[in-house]
Amino acid sequence: MQKNSPSSQLMTLLPHLRDNLPVYATALVLALLAVPLGFQGGLPYALAAGLLAALSFFTVRQVLRQKEAAERRKELSDEQLLQSQKLAAIGELSAGIAHEINNPLAIIRQEAEWLLRLFNKDSPPDATETKTGLTEIVRQVDRAREITHNLLNFARRRQPVVQAVELNRIILDMTLLVEKTAPQSRLNLVKHLQPDLPLIASDGPLLRQVILNLLNNAIQAAGQDGTITVITRVADDGQVMVQVNDTGCGIPKEHLAQIFDPFFSTKPQGKGTGLGLAICHGIIERLGGEISVTSVLGQGSSFTIKLPQSLEQRGI
Amino acid sequence: MDNFKILIVDDENDFRETIIKRLRARKIDIEGADSGPKALEMLDAQDFDVIVLDVKMPGMDGIETLREIKLKKPLVEVIMLTGHASVESGIQGMQLGAFDYVMKPVALDDLMDKLRQANERRLIQLEYHK
Repeated sequence: MQKNSPSSQLMTLLPHLRDNLPVYATALVLALLAVPLGFQGGLPYALAAGLLAALSFFTVRQVLRQKEAAERRKELSDEQLLQSQKLAAIGELSAGIAHEINNPLAIIRQEAEWLLRLFNKDSPPDATETKTGLTEIVRQVDRAREITHNLLNFARRRQPVVQAVELNRIILDMTLLVEKTAPQSRLNLVKHLQPDLPLIASDGPLLRQVILNLLNNAIQAAGQDGTITVITRVADDGQVMVQVNDTGCGIPKEHLAQIFDPFFSTKPQGKGTGLGLAICHGIIERLGGEISVTSVLGQGSSFTIKLPQSLEQRGI
Repeated sequence: MDNFKILIVDDENDFRETIIKRLRARKIDIEGADSGPKALEMLDAQDFDVIVLDVKMPGMDGIETLREIKLKKPLVEVIMLTGHASVESGIQGMQLGAFDYVMKPVALDDLMDKLRQANERRLIQLEYHK
């Protein structure tokens, strides 16, 4: 391993040469120009041309350096912005966790204090009342446990495992699961799946999780007589697109921006942890895709996922 | 070519034994367990590559068993079998790292497809961990 062998020196020089190509090209052209000028017009012209070459060499180099510095500064400020956004997100996240865990804790405390009071009386406590109290405590512990479990799954950023994925197949499987298990028998599920959809290099189980979450949300939003439409197609930019539409209640404009935030939920307390869409967002991002939402209040919502055909396209 | 080892966990004896018989006829290495605890016990004693796990079982259910399996052997792939589980349990299962959900009754070719894909995934992950 000789670090200073001529070939390794050349290797380190090459990128430098490539990056500064405009500088050297300008200098070279002007220097070459100086030679015929020197023949034709004599020394002063050659000197003038040479001077010009040197001058433009330095100017171009200076400009490029400034451009580089500006880019570095921008990168830095982007990083800082991202960092502060991350910190804000962590703040929101902790507030959410605290809120979600505090609710069951409060109920557990209430019930436990009530039971203690019952037991402190002289007469033996009423059996049914004791049982109700204990059942509630167990229920609330389960609720808290579900929150922490979901959170762990959320935090455990599973590395995607890339396989050839047949997206239509995943959608057919997951809609079947939903159709067979949805409480409403009148569920109206329409599928428009592009038949020749290309295989994509992606993570099947993670995508199943996303599709299942979106379908579950759509069912809850659509209610009794609603319709859910699932569409797949190749977008104009070659990415593969999945759309889940429902004719449900819609999402108010002021909620749209927060919809993918962890713990953001409009469901009643204790129903849903507000992590479903946050998990979906995290997964799609890791798969190099995008997830977006549009909604009209009272008419329904539409979730769109765009996925690259291969992860390499996105440099993942 | 399908040299991977399968464990099927289902309390319905008829269903489980039929699957075992049919897959063995296809020269697939497969064992059966009639409960979650039995499956975990077998997993301690020997290695399996893919586990087919019924969601609804008396006592320890499929979701609980899945959780334990993933704690014990995170690289084992698990395909959940379900008659009519809830969507919530489906989401829960996928979040716990199940590979797929298969509805009963299942066409054997479909199951074979999913078994192969699950095993392929396991091999890819083994590569990652090297």
